[in-house]
Amino acid sequence: MQGKAIIEIKDLVKIYKGSDEAAIKGISLDINQGEIFGLLGPNGAGKTTTISILCGLFNPTKGSARIDGMDILSNHNAIKKIIGVVPQDVALYPTLTSWENLTFFGNMYGLRGAHLREKIAEGFSVFGLEKHADKKIANCSGGIKRRVNLIAGLLHDPKIIFLDEPTVGIDVQSRVVILEYLKELNRKGTTVIYTSHYMEEAEKLCTRVAIIDRGKVISMGNPRELVAEHPEFKDLENIFLHLTGKDLRD
Amino acid sequence: MFKFFSACRKESLILVRDLAGLIMLFLMPMIMVTILALVQEQGWSSLSRDPSIPVLLVDEDQDTLGAKIQEGLKGSNVFKIYTSIDGKPVNREIAKQKIAKGEYNIGVIIPKGSTGIIRHKVQVMVTQIVSGIMMPVDNPFLDIKVNDSINILIYFDPGIKGTFKYAFMSTMKEYSMFIESSMIFSSFNTELRKMFPQYRPPKMDYRESVFFTEIFPGGKDEKAIPSTTQHNVPAWALFAMFFIVIPMTGSMIKERDEGSMIRINTMPVSYFTIFMAKVSVYAVVCVIQFILMMLAGRYVLPLANIPSLTVGSNYMGILLMMVVSSLAALGFAIAVGTIARTHQQAAAFGVVSVVVLTALGGLWVPVYLMPEAMRSLALWSPLNWAHVGFIDLFLRQATIADILPQVFKLLCFFVITISIALLYRRVKSPLNN
Repeated sequence: MQGKAIIEIKDLVKIYKGSDEAAIKGISLDINQGEIFGLLGPNGAGKTTTISILCGLFNPTKGSARIDGMDILSNHNAIKKIIGVVPQDVALYPTLTSWENLTFFGNMYGLRGAHLREKIAEGFSVFGLEKHADKKIANCSGGIKRRVNLIAGLLHDPKIIFLDEPTVGIDVQSRVVILEYLKELNRKGTTVIYTSHYMEEAEKLCTRVAIIDRGKVISMGNPRELVAEHPEFKDLENIFLHLTGKDLRD
Repeated sequence: MFKFFSACRKESLILVRDLAGLIMLFLMPMIMVTILALVQEQGWSSLSRDPSIPVLLVDEDQDTLGAKIQEGLKGSNVFKIYTSIDGKPVNREIAKQKIAKGEYNIGVIIPKGSTGIIRHKVQVMVTQIVSGIMMPVDNPFLDIKVNDSINILIYFDPGIKGTFKYAFMSTMKEYSMFIESSMIFSSFNTELRKMFPQYRPPKMDYRESVFFTEIFPGGKDEKAIPSTTQHNVPAWALFAMFFIVIPMTGSMIKERDEGSMIRINTMPVSYFTIFMAKVSVYAVVCVIQFILMMLAGRYVLPLANIPSLTVGSNYMGILLMMVVSSLAALGFAIAVGTIARTHQQAAAFGVVSVVVLTALGGLWVPVYLMPEAMRSLALWSPLNWAHVGFIDLFLRQATIADILPQVFKLLCFFVITISIALLYRRVKSPLNN
C-alpha cells in the first residue's frame, strides 16, 4: 500500500514566543502514502509540535511542509478536509452525549443526514459503544471518552490521520481495539501518523518510526530494521533509551 | 450554512443542559431589576410619599416660627419630626450627639427669640412704610436700622444624600419666607387698624395663585410620564444584558480549555461560523432576558406600588433595539473572550468594564448631571446609545427612523468588537480562518 510521499517536511523549525530554545530544530522527513508512521520521543521532544504544525494549529517559524502536494501555509482549508486529528486530550463537550458530540463534529467535516448517522453507528459498533450513545461524555469512563475521541477524528474517512498518544491512560482492552482499528484503517489506505511513549506498541504497529529528541530527528527507519542495525539492544525501547538517554525529562 | 446551524444546535444544547445556569441567566436579572427599581424608587419617591427621614427639632423659640416650621416639615410628607426621644425633650446637646452617631439624619435648632426678632423687624419695616406714607418728610422712623438676624442651626448627618439635604433646605427656606410674609401681612393689618379704626382686614385667599402643570411632550401619546421605572427598568435591563460577558466568555474559555476548540481548529470550518453561532444563540438569551425584565417592570413593580413600565407602541422598534443592543453586548463579550486567557481575566475585566460603561452611559446618574468632560465621554458608551434608544421608544414615541442613529452606533460597535476579536486571533494565533 505504501507509495509516494504524502507528507514532505523540510527544515521545520518552531520557536515559541518567549522561549529561547526552538521546540523543533530543522526537522526534515517524508512520510509515504499508506504508512503507519510513528513519531517517538521523550516528553518535550517536539512530537506534538510537529503534528500541530502539520494539522494547521501552529505556523512554523521556519521551513516548509506539504501534505498531499499542498503547502500547509497556503492550503489550510483544503488540507483540513483530508486529515483527521485525534488530539492528546479528550476534546469533546462534556455535557453533550457521545452521539451529539459526533454529530456536531461530523457536521463540521461537512457530513450530514443518513451518511453521518451510518458513520457514527459504524464507529460505535467497531468500538463497542452502542450502549453509550446517549450517555453524556461527562458520565463516561476514560476508555469510552478515548474511543469517542478517536471516532470523532475518523468520521469523514480522512486520507491521513494524526493521532497524538491515542492510547494514553486507557485499559488494555481499549488499547487493543484502537490499535486493531488503526491497522484496519491502514489496510484500507489511510496514512496514519502517530505519536506514542509506548515503544512496544510502536514496534508492532508502525511501518516506520522517527525517534525525535530535543527537536531533532536522531534516528529513523523500520522498527525491525532499527533493531537489526543495533544487535546490542534487544528491542526498540532499549535503542530509544540508548539514543535519548536515561535522564528524566520535563 | 448547515455548519452554522449545527453549531447553533450544539450551543443551545450546552445551554439547555446547564439548567441551573439557564435559570440564573433569566431569573437573576429579573430579581436585580425588581430590587434595584424598588430601592431606587423608594429613595427618590420618598420625597413625595411616606415621611421617612427622621428630623430632630429643638424648638427653643416656642413661638410662631418654631410652630410653623414644625408644621411645614410635617406637611412636606418627607420628614418625620421628633421633638423628644424616649419621652425626654430633645435639646441642642442631645441633637448634636444623636446626629453625630448617625441615629438621626437632620437636626434643627430654632434659637430662643427667633419669632420676636422677625416680628420686630417686620414691625419696624411696616412702621417705616406706613409712616412714610403719612409723613414723607423728616420721618424719624426711616433712620431706624434693625441689625438682628436669626441663625437657625441645622445639623446634617455626614452620610446624608445631597438630594435630601437640598430638599430639606428648600423646605426650610420656603416656610421661613411664608412665615415672614404672613407676619408682614398681619403687621400691616394691625398698623392699618391703628390708623383707621373702622378698617376690617380682608379675608385673604391663601391658595396659590400660580400653578404649575407638568406636560411631557411625547408625540402621539403624552400620557407616558417619566418616572423612576421608566428610567431604571431599561437601564438595569441593559446593565444585566451586558453582563452576558460572563457566561459568554466562560463558554469560550471552557471550550478552549477542554480542547474542543483545538479539534474545531483542525476542521474545515471557520472561527467566524463558530462564534457567530454562539452570538446567535446568546442573542436569543439576551432578548428573552430583556423581555422578562420589561415584563417585571410592567407587571411585578406595580404590585409594590411602583409605577408600571410604559413601553409605548412601537414594538418593532423595541425588538430592533433589543436585537442590536444584544449584538453590541455579545460583540463585546466575544472580544473579551478571545483576548482573555483565563476565566479570572475575563471575569475581572468584563465586570469592571461593564460597570464603567454603565456609569459612563448615564444609566446610574443622568448624563445631564455629569461634569462637562464626563458628558462628552458618555456619548461613547454603547449602554448610553441603547438607553437613549429605549427611552426614545418608551417615552417619546419614537419611530424606527428616529432610533436609527442609535441602531447604527450599536451595530458599528458590534462590527468593531468582532473585528478586534478576529484581528487579535489572526495576529496572536497563526490560524488563518
